[in-house]
Amino acid sequence: MGGMTEFANPATYVVEGILVFFILWKILSARRGRDLFIRRIPGLSVLDEAVGRATEMGKPMLFVPGLGGLDIVGLQAMAIMSHVIKHAANYSTRVIVPLCDPVLYTVAEEVARDAYTTAGTPEQYISDDIRYLTNQQFAWASGVVGIQHREQTATAFYFGWFAAEALILAENGQIVGAIQVAGTPSIIQIPFFLAACDYTIIGDEYYAASAYLSREPTLLGSLVGQDYGKILMIGLVLLGVIGVTVVALTTHLPGLSWLASAVKRYFLDYFPGHS
Amino acid sequence: MFHNIQHFLSPATAKGPWVWAYIGTAIAVGVAALFALMAVPPRYRKMVVVAITFIGGLYFSLEFLLPHGKHGIVGRFANGLTDAKPGVADWVMIVGAFTLLLGTSNLFQVHGKAVRKMSPGWYNSLAFFISFFLIMIFGFLKDAYLGKHGIAGSVGTASEQLFAILFNGFVQNLDAAMFSLVAFYIVSAAYRAFRVKSAEAGLMMVTAGIVMLGLVPVGTLITSWISPHSWLASLRLERLTVWILTWPSMAVLRAIEFGLSVGYLAMSLRIWLSLERGSFFDRQL
Repeated sequence: MGGMTEFANPATYVVEGILVFFILWKILSARRGRDLFIRRIPGLSVLDEAVGRATEMGKPMLFVPGLGGLDIVGLQAMAIMSHVIKHAANYSTRVIVPLCDPVLYTVAEEVARDAYTTAGTPEQYISDDIRYLTNQQFAWASGVVGIQHREQTATAFYFGWFAAEALILAENGQIVGAIQVAGTPSIIQIPFFLAACDYTIIGDEYYAASAYLSREPTLLGSLVGQDYGKILMIGLVLLGVIGVTVVALTTHLPGLSWLASAVKRYFLDYFPGHS
Repeated sequence: MFHNIQHFLSPATAKGPWVWAYIGTAIAVGVAALFALMAVPPRYRKMVVVAITFIGGLYFSLEFLLPHGKHGIVGRFANGLTDAKPGVADWVMIVGAFTLLLGTSNLFQVHGKAVRKMSPGWYNSLAFFISFFLIMIFGFLKDAYLGKHGIAGSVGTASEQLFAILFNGFVQNLDAAMFSLVAFYIVSAAYRAFRVKSAEAGLMMVTAGIVMLGLVPVGTLITSWISPHSWLASLRLERLTVWILTWPSMAVLRAIEFGLSVGYLAMSLRIWLSLERGSFFDRQL
């Protein structure tokens, strides 16, 4: 394990290096015009239906970007929000965005204004619809619930980082009869969204959303690169399983103990936490 | 060299007039940077944003990836990057503080309009203004008197008590009340989730039933007739529960986490290299 530090070890360099290579390689090949296939994601295909329903009912839509701040999860929520707003702007449907983080609020304002401008309807941008409520978790949740009930929102999108308030929001969405679509990288909240929402996107589909909605070659390429990365991860898991099994079987066999120590020394020890 | 830079950028030890000198310089540099950015032609402005994003990402990548150590230029460089982290965190906090002002101004705008126009529910907006100013005033008074005269002074004591009533009596209890609603919503969500509409839903219902029973004493009681030492011991409900949570459930969670991590990395890479399209970087800044 020579050269290992508390920050990154050789396995990190190799795995991250390969993942980055796959992603960049696929982005570049997609930009060169290569056709890439992306499977259907039901939760995102429903965008038309969700916007159409709000338009027919003459009620606003709600986009909730969760508790997170200006990080990768928050930025992805903003990317999805941008597509939702562009779509809604074509039907003159309002989108209300209640925010919990002041930094993300400033970004959301810009992204919303930009989305309306791109859709060719800058006059539809209402600054009061991008609302900063508070940075307190449950005070924010009660604010969002209040908006759901007062505005009788027809559609609700929950994309971002959520905690215990996820179920409160989704259940109140049910009460007002909204069609609900959710996606979060917060694994603990996924079951709650599954139980209370009409469509829930799971796991890495959250990061695939902007690619799926925009069909931008750069994003599609990145998505395919991600899939290659996942194949690599599966391979590593299988190697780990084989490695641990070999160690367990050969440690106590005098003739083969060298195999156990070799597997441990050259593979398993580079992945801290294995047992 | 990095320690000197870090010391200069984190003037926590500055005293007397130096504090004001630091504050004045920081404001002057900030304003100058803002004007400089605004003076840059739009097509180059985007390049400035891209460059700043790249440098920020590079800092954190190098800080994590470079081997740290007391010897060798790379080790010392990496140590310097790590030592500079509190300073970088301060910058992030300062930016956050400015945006909090923007957020508060949005609150004032939305609720001020509601009160001015006497729109439905305007009294809720009035309640916002009253509570905002009350907690702010008593908070400031409490802290000011706590610092100068201890909390014993009459104004200090009154402020402390009123702040406690507002914060502990109202804010925390309202927070707890909101959180407690989760318990009721879990019941209604569980009712919908456990309706057996398909084979998969049935399987989930059975699994959830085993896990729920395995976590309560009555569940343990149901299968207590199976000896813990017999070959059937694995069928005891509490053991089945542990098995479900530790193996099948954990495997699925790990699989989702792997996917999420790779997606996170891809998104980070796109943001870092300004490759994200369709949302942030298409517009002419």
